[in-house]
Amino acid sequence: MGNPMKIRAAAKDGVTEVKVLISHEMETGQRKDANGAVIPAWFITELVAKHGDKVVLQSEFGTAVSKNPYLAFKFKGGAKGDKVSVSWKDNKGDSRTDEAVVN
Amino acid sequence: MSRFSKSIVAAALLALTASAFAFDTFKLGRQATPAELAAWDIDVRPDFKGLPKGSGNVQQGNDLFEEKCASCHGSFGESNEVFTPLIGGTTHEDIKNGRVGGFVKGDIPQRTTFTKVATISTIFDYIQRAMPWTAPKSLKPDEVYAILAYFLNLAEIVPADFVLSDKNIAEVQKMMPNRNGMTTNHGMWPGAPAARGGIGNGGKPDVKNVACMKDCKKEVRIGSVLPNYARTAHGNLEDQNRSFGPVRGVRTVDGDAAVARAPAQSAELTLANASGCMACHGLSSKIVGPGLNEVQARYKDQADAADRLAAKVKAGGQGAWGSIPMPPNGHVKDEDIKTLVKWILSGAK
Repeated sequence: MGNPMKIRAAAKDGVTEVKVLISHEMETGQRKDANGAVIPAWFITELVAKHGDKVVLQSEFGTAVSKNPYLAFKFKGGAKGDKVSVSWKDNKGDSRTDEAVVN
Repeated sequence: MSRFSKSIVAAALLALTASAFAFDTFKLGRQATPAELAAWDIDVRPDFKGLPKGSGNVQQGNDLFEEKCASCHGSFGESNEVFTPLIGGTTHEDIKNGRVGGFVKGDIPQRTTFTKVATISTIFDYIQRAMPWTAPKSLKPDEVYAILAYFLNLAEIVPADFVLSDKNIAEVQKMMPNRNGMTTNHGMWPGAPAARGGIGNGGKPDVKNVACMKDCKKEVRIGSVLPNYARTAHGNLEDQNRSFGPVRGVRTVDGDAAVARAPAQSAELTLANASGCMACHGLSSKIVGPGLNEVQARYKDQADAADRLAAKVKAGGQGAWGSIPMPPNGHVKDEDIKTLVKWILSGAK
């Protein structure tokens, strides 16, 4: 299930700005632990953001993205009280969706 | 400040410490009024002495933080762009143990405020005393409580509906992730050693510099100096320090020819200092925002620049110089903004 994301969304002049702090290890698969064994890769592969039911951002993530990544984007439309949801899937098949209300 | 006026200040301070005796002897100064003392005595101690009464919840803190703090610290206190992050690097395990595991194992990638600080009173004191950077001491106690509640929620120490107040702050102290991470076994802590009821080690220094008694070197030779290209890497350090206080930056540009002190500062520079501009803008170098000379260089050929810049200074802005926004400056008078913009466009010295 992963840890919850922190999401803030604010609408201003017909544009909604969304800021997301994702909690994820984002392990590249290139690091080794103290015994020299490779730490297996574990990272987000796909991230989708929706305004209501409409997809406003779709992206593919990879190992170049940092641990606990921060993501900010803007989309046209959106008003106070609307729902914005962000969901990710990772390479271990885990996924998580979190929601926030636009203010 | 001249030597003469410095000695007056010193005498005044002496007069304060020596109280009645000095008043009678030197006829200098006067007793501080209770109101003056209250304005000065704002510190909040680890035992919560000095903590003002009040309360604030996470949601209020979120709104305040977004308005006044997020432009530098990031919406989640996560930004590493202007300052090191406030939040992050702590786990639920740390909250239980009172010691940040990343320090014990040594695998912490980045220190943040909440990984380091042991006492919540310190954060309260610091926000109240020094934040926001452009308008320190402007937050009311309730606002500081709210912002602190928001931090505690971001660090996953308290739930989202938490209300922090002077009543329950001691409970929160027991959940601080690095509360057991402080040691007082250093010579800088005052008083007797811990064994005899003090908090320090009795004044034993952390380092030991034993005087050489035989076969000593006859003269001191400086083994290495910073090469010029490295010395100037951050512009002129002399311009990047506050104009008051004991610390002076070294002059790092123009080589040794310009060692002579700069002439007394202009009235506009004093105004810019008082208005908070110089906290983020250097005269000739970027600090957080662009150097004032860079602004002048960009706008010098535009006839309407003065009006446009004045509007920008007042309302704040973002984008022209990168992603770090400039906060709105409603507290500066319109005619002062005009004076400052004119001064910037004429070369800001």
